[in-house]
Amino acid sequence: MSAYFVAIGIVSLIYMLLALGLTLQFGLTGLINFGHVGFFAIGAYTSALLSLQGVPLPLSFLAAAIVPGLMALPIGLISLRLRDDYFAIVTLGFSEVVRAVITNARELTGGTQGIPGIPRMYPGLTGLPAQLAVLATVGLVTLAAVWMIVRIARSPFGRMIQAIRDNEVAVKALGKDPARFKVQVLAVGAALAGIASAFYAHYITYIVPDQFIPLVTFYVWMAIIMGGASRISGAVLGTAILMAFLEGSRFVHDFLPGVSEVHMASVRIGIVGLLLIVFVIKRPQGLMGDTTQR
Amino acid sequence: MTDLLQHVANGVVQGLFIGMAALAITLVFGIARFPNAATGDMMTFGAYAGLVAQQAANSLVLAGAVAILAGAVVALASHWLVFRRLAGRSVVSLLVASIGVAFMIRAVLGVVFGQAQAVFQVPLTRAQLYWGVRVTPLNLQISQVVVAALLVVFAVLYFTPIGRQMRAVADDRDLARVSGIRPERVMVALWLMAGAVAGLAGMMLGIKTVVAPEVGWEMLLPAFTAAILGGIGSAPGAVLAGLLLGVAQEVSTPFVGFSYKIAIAFLVMLGVLLVRPSGLFGRSESVR
Amino acid sequence: MTLEVRDIVMNFGGFRALDGVSLTVPAGGLVGLIGPNGAGKSTLFAIMSGFQTQDAGAVLLDGRPLDALAAPARARAGLVRTFQVPREFRNLTVRQNLLAAAPGQTGENLLGLFFQPGRVAREEAVIARRAEETLRLLKLAPVADQPARQLSGGQKKLLELGRALMLDPRFVLLDEPFAGVNPVLIGEIVARIRELNAAGIGFLIIEHDLEALTRLVPYLAVLDRGRIIAQGGPDAVLTDAAVREAYLGGVA
Ligand SMILES: Nc1ncnc2c1ncn2[C@@H]1O[C@H](COP(=O)(O)OP(=O)(O)OP(=O)(O)O)[C@@H](O)[C@H]1O
Ligand SMILES: [Mg+2]
Repeated sequence: MSAYFVAIGIVSLIYMLLALGLTLQFGLTGLINFGHVGFFAIGAYTSALLSLQGVPLPLSFLAAAIVPGLMALPIGLISLRLRDDYFAIVTLGFSEVVRAVITNARELTGGTQGIPGIPRMYPGLTGLPAQLAVLATVGLVTLAAVWMIVRIARSPFGRMIQAIRDNEVAVKALGKDPARFKVQVLAVGAALAGIASAFYAHYITYIVPDQFIPLVTFYVWMAIIMGGASRISGAVLGTAILMAFLEGSRFVHDFLPGVSEVHMASVRIGIVGLLLIVFVIKRPQGLMGDTTQR
Repeated sequence: MTDLLQHVANGVVQGLFIGMAALAITLVFGIARFPNAATGDMMTFGAYAGLVAQQAANSLVLAGAVAILAGAVVALASHWLVFRRLAGRSVVSLLVASIGVAFMIRAVLGVVFGQAQAVFQVPLTRAQLYWGVRVTPLNLQISQVVVAALLVVFAVLYFTPIGRQMRAVADDRDLARVSGIRPERVMVALWLMAGAVAGLAGMMLGIKTVVAPEVGWEMLLPAFTAAILGGIGSAPGAVLAGLLLGVAQEVSTPFVGFSYKIAIAFLVMLGVLLVRPSGLFGRSESVR
Repeated sequence: MTLEVRDIVMNFGGFRALDGVSLTVPAGGLVGLIGPNGAGKSTLFAIMSGFQTQDAGAVLLDGRPLDALAAPARARAGLVRTFQVPREFRNLTVRQNLLAAAPGQTGENLLGLFFQPGRVAREEAVIARRAEETLRLLKLAPVADQPARQLSGGQKKLLELGRALMLDPRFVLLDEPFAGVNPVLIGEIVARIRELNAAGIGFLIIEHDLEALTRLVPYLAVLDRGRIIAQGGPDAVLTDAAVREAYLGGVA
């Protein structure tokens, strides 16, 4: 039983890292990143492939942060001058192209078969101690990420990205180039997604393209919208609810044997859709009361 | 040479689907002012509705009518239940809500029909050769239906009072309001038309390929690309751009492979937005 | 050391908003720009500040054309504008609005932020003092820690002005700085603009409040339907027949 809770803790923290990236990108800066899962996928494949080539895990984790961060630069440079809605479409398209590439570049990525046998962290440990070690590591990384984002939010940089969210034209009139800030924000969020994905890949130990569908992006959107988009406490609470929802829907399946897994998948998508709609209409400030006016 | 022509011909058929989807998107984008990410799933909804009708009554014509009706109904319902309540809110609210609508439509279809693929029962026919290009009668008929539907849409847009009002709102919402156009009437007409177009497009796509829960969603990126390429709000632009994109995708398949079609659409979109960050013919917002 | 526009033409569709406008603000000059609603004044500002691109003509700073510079670069070059419709950062406090406007902050770069924390803190202290002064000057100190969206219309105009002043500009384009501001405060702002002007900052000011404007500027230009129809000392300009015609329409 405790192994189960440790497992939940690990997956929660992985989602938490994703949510923190979106808090920075959307909550503070106003970037509508609909392609979060694309950066997550790039990080996962980077770390998995490198570690299978014998690269030590600390280095492959580092690469999992850097490669998506660098991928964010060209995407950012091309698209950050766009209107909000075009940016959303472009990032969504980006993540679908990433998925097309990992599905079809079979020699490299194993295609739809994916990559099995990804090395675990802490190979010297087994059973619960191994799990706890992973939990502690991802917990420390998450704490570091929270510290970093709080630090950013309260800094001159944080002031400026919130200014960009509020009025981009005025930022330009003050002699600052919004794109310069946005590209940094995009890269940091992508790097966070990349680190999250390395934990994911080396914890689950196999990855396939189907794990990187847009639904994952919108799980994270659901979390930060329910919690309150520009608050870190919102990301925490939202992730907790998301996890409870994902796990709970598995239990429904266990209790109601008549409901097939296929049906449950549809029901899950439907609930995500419903929650997105209800919160956007009824409680856009989220549960933690994000008072930001957009 | 005939190979190229063959690809062009296939591309035209594909382009008609993209064009219809782009038309549904550009109408909403131009008038309700947000990119409706549920357009793809509205198409899927039309495809399944048509499938059910065809299995029940064994009539493709009836199925088409049902697909049109289903698309229109689901679009109008999403306007009433969701989008209308977000009028005046920031574009991200509408975008996220449209994703929510997309998921809910897909969930309903998934629960009712499962994840398996289904096909329309259509008579198998032999391809005919026109100037060395193989064209199946089915593709020809699909194309004729799509073209006819497009003509009807354009007739409504350009020759009826409500169509003129829709175009006026797309051009300049404030001006349209002061000239006494009733916004809600225009909105209802808009969603009926966009939904009908999406529903029919979904069914035609289903006849040509298969009916599956994600067929519509997979059209979304090419359709957005065509809408942007054609100029947001421009119905003829969307259709022309859809045709262009369909041909471009088909003609490039020998070089990049079938599976990278989506990447072609994405690159075209980036290209257009690089040249004109507000889209071709896009409005530039005034700064005072 | 001058700010100059030369033969600016701007069309919106078939409508010609600016029709060959030329105007010079000398270094440290103080020029008023007046004209009926829709004359093209704000459009001229948008072109000068790089937010819109003219169809013909040039904007020159110290004789160098600014065409190649985008809006932020023009502000950094010392040409700063305010907006007729205030564009406050609505979720930031009034004080943060001012701090955000300060130029050249090390802490606006992620690397600087994490690797030079001492320098960031020192710079913050300096700009915080400047922000404090600006708040006092504009009578915004009591609301300094409120979100800017809660300000009144007039206070928002003051905030626009305050942010522009935080930049250490060489030329300031003010678009109706007095609209909605109470007369006592207008007097104080007029005095402050005079001081800044005496310190060498040039101003070009759009204003419909002619009484306040003529108290401030020694030189007026009148824009009407996209053309400069008169310029010179206020007395001469305001008695000019063409100007009276433009303002009073067919009545005169
Ligand atoms: N982006 C735009 N598109 C179309 N027309 C525009 C645009 N911007 C301004 N105009 C038109 O150009 C003309 C000049 O506008 P502008 O805002 O420069 O006037 P103004 O002199 O500042 O007036 P006011 O004193 O009322 O502020 C007006 O007729 C306006 O409608
Ligand atoms: Mg004006």
